[in-house]
Amino acid sequence: MRGMIEVEEHTLANGLRLVMAPDLTTPVTSVNLWYGVGSRNEAPGRTGFAHLFEHMMFQGSAHVPRNGHFQLIEEVGGSANATTWFDRTNYFETVPSHHLDLALWLESDRMGWMLPAMNGEKLENQRQVVMNERKERYDNQPYGDWDERIQALLFPETHPYHHSVIGTLEDIAAATLDDVRDFFSTYYLPNNAVLSICGDFDPDHARDRVEHYFGAIQPGPDPPAIPGIDQIPFSTGATLREDVPGAVPLPRVYAAARVPPFTTDLFYPGDVVAHCLGTGRTSRLYDRLVRRRLAKSASCHLLPLTSGASLFMVIATGFPDTDVDDLETAVTTELDNAVTLTEEAVERAVTGAETRMLRALQQVATRADLLSMYATHFGDATRLNDDLGRLRQVTLDEVRSWSRNHLNPGNRALVRYIPEQSS
Amino acid sequence: MTGRGKPPPPGPIRPYEFPPVADEPLGNGMRVRVVQKQPLGLVTAMVVLRAGESAAPAGCEGLAVLAGDALEGGTTRLSSVELACRLEDIGASFGAATGWDSTTVAVSCLADNLVDALPLLAEMVRSPAFDQAEFDRYKAQRLATAAHRRMDPASLAADFHARSIYGDGDTYARPLGGTEASLGALEADHARQYAAARYGPARAAVVVVGDVESEEVRQLADREFGDWGEQSANPPEAVVAGREPGRSIHVVHRPGSVQSEIRVGHVGVSRFIEDYLPLTVVNLVLGGSFSSRLNLNLREHHGFTYGVRSTFAARRNRGPFVVSTAVENSVTAAAVREIFREVEALSESGPTADEVQTATSYLAGVFPLRMESTGQVASRIAGLIVFGLPVDYYRDYRDRIREVTREQAVAAARRHIRPRELCTVVVGDAEAVAPGLEDLKIGPVTIHDLQS
Repeated sequence: MRGMIEVEEHTLANGLRLVMAPDLTTPVTSVNLWYGVGSRNEAPGRTGFAHLFEHMMFQGSAHVPRNGHFQLIEEVGGSANATTWFDRTNYFETVPSHHLDLALWLESDRMGWMLPAMNGEKLENQRQVVMNERKERYDNQPYGDWDERIQALLFPETHPYHHSVIGTLEDIAAATLDDVRDFFSTYYLPNNAVLSICGDFDPDHARDRVEHYFGAIQPGPDPPAIPGIDQIPFSTGATLREDVPGAVPLPRVYAAARVPPFTTDLFYPGDVVAHCLGTGRTSRLYDRLVRRRLAKSASCHLLPLTSGASLFMVIATGFPDTDVDDLETAVTTELDNAVTLTEEAVERAVTGAETRMLRALQQVATRADLLSMYATHFGDATRLNDDLGRLRQVTLDEVRSWSRNHLNPGNRALVRYIPEQSS
Repeated sequence: MTGRGKPPPPGPIRPYEFPPVADEPLGNGMRVRVVQKQPLGLVTAMVVLRAGESAAPAGCEGLAVLAGDALEGGTTRLSSVELACRLEDIGASFGAATGWDSTTVAVSCLADNLVDALPLLAEMVRSPAFDQAEFDRYKAQRLATAAHRRMDPASLAADFHARSIYGDGDTYARPLGGTEASLGALEADHARQYAAARYGPARAAVVVVGDVESEEVRQLADREFGDWGEQSANPPEAVVAGREPGRSIHVVHRPGSVQSEIRVGHVGVSRFIEDYLPLTVVNLVLGGSFSSRLNLNLREHHGFTYGVRSTFAARRNRGPFVVSTAVENSVTAAAVREIFREVEALSESGPTADEVQTATSYLAGVFPLRMESTGQVASRIAGLIVFGLPVDYYRDYRDRIREVTREQAVAAARRHIRPRELCTVVVGDAEAVAPGLEDLKIGPVTIHDLQS
């Protein structure tokens, strides 16, 4: 099959799962680590901590000076970064292939020897950086806080997705150095991580180096259960809503639904629905909202979340003179009408998804990240190879019944941004 | 553990070569460039037209961008919906992108489908309908985008800064996508006239990168573009007169802002300067990487910001040099002070030998990292067309980067960074930030209303 990726998987004695997929096309190698911890694991009063902690991981470790991580990677012509999300935190480096050892050494040093390098001054510095990140991306940005509002509306307070990844300024301000130590000892364990290596390398050599750098890191107890109650019905009971009047230039509607999570077979019909509604110029939302000038733009997203439920979402932006009620009606009409999707639309959506997946796989960094994702959530990285097949197998009946069950008005949260007259 | 104390040495280096570029023009002068690449069976085909926003006539600002958008709006044969169906039925993604110097229209699909996709790409470019209703739809979208830019602090800062460093009649003084006033006056006829004058085979190219045979592509391109009639006039170039140099600070008052969007810079360089590579090194050291002087100072030392960067925009005429960041109100003046300190120090003494070494090693190293996908390679080749650079430019690019010396970098920093001409724009709460900015004594502080 086109795009089939050969994968070799091992588990070290300390529980670290290693996924390797060599490809000698370009002398570039990507190292990608997924830790099984994200904003869902945050204790009450500590929202945003998983992300703040991610910043601390770049502040040096026992053998790496502060900012040494970026400096060493940039010096050899590599790139590095990390992201925090609901269910996981990922760290990655892409380097010219002869510098694979450097990337492994850097990642292993912070997995095993981070705490000796931590101090209060570094925490203060990164606390300021993260507070600025929040202000720049959420508070000083039109629509910037939409995900916070959607999450709070769609998921009950007891659910781990009720709060945003960035967290509140109060909670970020409250984080202590003890929190950093506890979080590290609880979650940053080899037995709570997946290490993927993709690109130009010799698997035997890489495996040997991974044993060398990571083998001595001590495992720990399984991380504690996720706080709160993650099992919730795929139903909100009624259409929940919040209106946000304010300094936004254009009206915008976010419409979200609680849907079956990534780890269930019912995720795939949802994925097909999301593509049919929102991807490409033939999609329903483009065809019926954008072409008819009911919206300036419209998109649809299904997030690959795993904790009890996932999040399905439509975002539609109007024109300056669009009435927000009309925009809402246009969006909810298409959610209601997803039950009328056709065989032709499904076929086209899956064909498009296949080509886009191949395009994404051209980059070793993406490949490594996807392998880590499947290994983390399914315990099987090779599932990446089956995923397009799963999409292909979805039937029109499944698409329609999924839409009927999950996109109805009894499972809906609406956040509407409304431009204020004075502005 | 043995060996844990210091970074491990590199392994044996594996050679990287930019793939060969087949280059043979069609009879009408249109260039065809083909790169064979990829085991995944994909292809990107891109038509590059020297039809950028710089060539839009006065009073029609935004026309090139809008005409580019409207290429998706159907051809004289196919409606917008029919065009989209034909391309998406074969899994293709497509779209047009317009910059100051070019319009590119690209299709990306399985290589097996190129034979169906390339004719549609050619049809979009050669026979656009510019139907009035479709044109009005794209126009409404661009007008809404312009309205958005007025309220988005980052866009507002960038647009205000461009207006402040360029002269009133300068091309780059305005936003790329035009203003609400200029867009409002545009009609489908304008797009037809623009396309007739600017879309044509001369100075244009079709770039195809992927799992293809270059001879087959050439034949396909010849069939689709070979009879495209000659259009000869050179497009007008961007005008840059600049302003009276001198330091100034403009505060755009946005009451209640919790942060200040800061832009500091001056009119920069064109892509044609001889010391472009040394200047690239200088910019990397200043604010072009995580470990840059600006980022280590403002973010990692002071904790003022989530990030700060500097850029020299590469255009056919002199694009802006800009340092940009967003910081809290209380540290706005301090952040501007630190930006000036870093810019002044670098323009005076240039980068150190170590910094040059690190920067050249970085640029040479990341080059193949950014050449993995067919789209990335096609975009690079399109850039060569736009700037008239040789077809084999990237063959020894990494060697030329490594050859940049400290002396060259110091000279480039002195020549192209002019601290006495730095213009500062701050979009934020003037009541909170203006007094501190006055105290810096950098230059006169002017406060502007949001609506101005």
